[in-house]
Amino acid sequence: MNAHKNTEPLLALDGVGRRFGGLQALSDVSFGVQRGEIFGLIGPNGAGKTTLFNLLSGVTPASAGAIRWRGRSTHGLRPDQLNRLGIARTFQNLRLFGALTVLENVVVALHHRQAQAALNAQAMGLLEQLGLADLADRRADNLSYGNRRRLEIARALATRPNLLLLDEPAAGMNPSEKEQLCALLAELRQRHQLTLIVIEHHVPLLMQLCHRLAVLDFGQLIALGTPEQIQRDPRVIAAYLGGAA
Amino acid sequence: MPDNGLLVQMILGALLGLSVYLPMAAGQLSLATPAFYAVGGTLAALMATQGPSAPTISLAAVLLEMLLAAGLTAALAVLVGLPVLRLRGIYLAIATIALVEIVRVAILNLPFTGGATGIFGIPQPFREPLGYLWLSGALLALSGWACQRMETSRLGRSMAAIRDDELASRCMGINTTRVKLTAFVASAALAGMTGVIAAHYLNTWNARQGSFDVAVTTLAFVILGGSRSWLGPVLGGLVLTALPELLRPVGDLRLVLFGLVILLGPVLFPQGLITPALLERFGRWKP
Repeated sequence: MNAHKNTEPLLALDGVGRRFGGLQALSDVSFGVQRGEIFGLIGPNGAGKTTLFNLLSGVTPASAGAIRWRGRSTHGLRPDQLNRLGIARTFQNLRLFGALTVLENVVVALHHRQAQAALNAQAMGLLEQLGLADLADRRADNLSYGNRRRLEIARALATRPNLLLLDEPAAGMNPSEKEQLCALLAELRQRHQLTLIVIEHHVPLLMQLCHRLAVLDFGQLIALGTPEQIQRDPRVIAAYLGGAA
Repeated sequence: MPDNGLLVQMILGALLGLSVYLPMAAGQLSLATPAFYAVGGTLAALMATQGPSAPTISLAAVLLEMLLAAGLTAALAVLVGLPVLRLRGIYLAIATIALVEIVRVAILNLPFTGGATGIFGIPQPFREPLGYLWLSGALLALSGWACQRMETSRLGRSMAAIRDDELASRCMGINTTRVKLTAFVASAALAGMTGVIAAHYLNTWNARQGSFDVAVTTLAFVILGGSRSWLGPVLGGLVLTALPELLRPVGDLRLVLFGLVILLGPVLFPQGLITPALLERFGRWKP
């Protein structure tokens, strides 16, 4: 395992909660993510996983608790500010810029000032890493589902993140595509020195990929640990299979 | 062949079309163009009729008015845009219609803007419409050049991204508030400068110049012309300004025909006359 246990976590959540009117979508969630870690987030539908991503990326503010990024509170920061600080994300229900080409989708996320040719070259480099270089001139909404998911990752990488939040990156993929994605994520993590938080319903994939996992159920953190620990946790088994814990 | 006078009006229409287009290129349906047009025209009318009345005015004075109108409308656009651009879609449209009405009623009732009759005898920088053709043509050429450059720039790309998906743009590090405000301010400044030219050209200026009708007509320029490139609203503005005049021979029927064009345009050309496919064929318009 590459995670460094004893340093200040890159990302720290302390008693984080979010309420939507009468619905407590998340309550009192606390955990830390270490630099370089691949951190999995699982839980049944409606457990609050995407809500947690929305809080981390600044799309919705937390209604309780504190999120610290590199030791500093992210309270009040907008999504674009958090992105510039190194937090990028993908979306569960794909939000590409459909009218733009594949290349433009990536170029638009490159924020350093450079000549157009240099930006295009960089974007092409990212597309190559994701296996999309041949499709560079296609409109993004003409891509297949799996390619759109990969373009979302390329676009997020263009913003040069330290932390990448992946919201169900393998959704809609077949088993062999999922295998490939797993290898790709591990490779991208090395190459871009990323810390990853991955939401995924396909639990075997996460067990294979992640250093640690957190399990959410009805907005509560019910388990946190290594894949082996999570697999044996009775509360996790109860949440997934139903019945009293 | 349309005469120079009509050509001037057509170019003024194209400029107003561009003004509506700019926020729309960033996904914002703003109908505020007539408000800024009215402010620019009123500023020119007031400045040019100060002091002893004269039938002519120097071109330099008109250019100065344009500069001041651009500054004033840009400042107004920042003040109005910061709160108003938080609204989306139809709510932004309604808020900007309200701005148009506020400006119209203000011009109608302020003690120095001439009330319902407006301001008369605005001095002319040119004796012939040809002079106006050069002036407005130069502004259109300059605006078109700026739009063309913008569409292949960082700003233009960010605008296109916001138009597609504002939330995703924010999460990709784009300061959407700043980008939307920039487009809104550019739109306002262009409408303000167009108002200055129009006030001198028309010789008279009143509150009706910036009414809700103008908002609908200029929106039609963009819808008929197409909103995927700056060429669309320019073409739409030219065609739809010329059409009622060219249809004059058919009498009252012309307004019906004009209405039909506006109605059928979006049906027959849902993407406007200048479509993305057409732009692709003339690949040089794309980066």
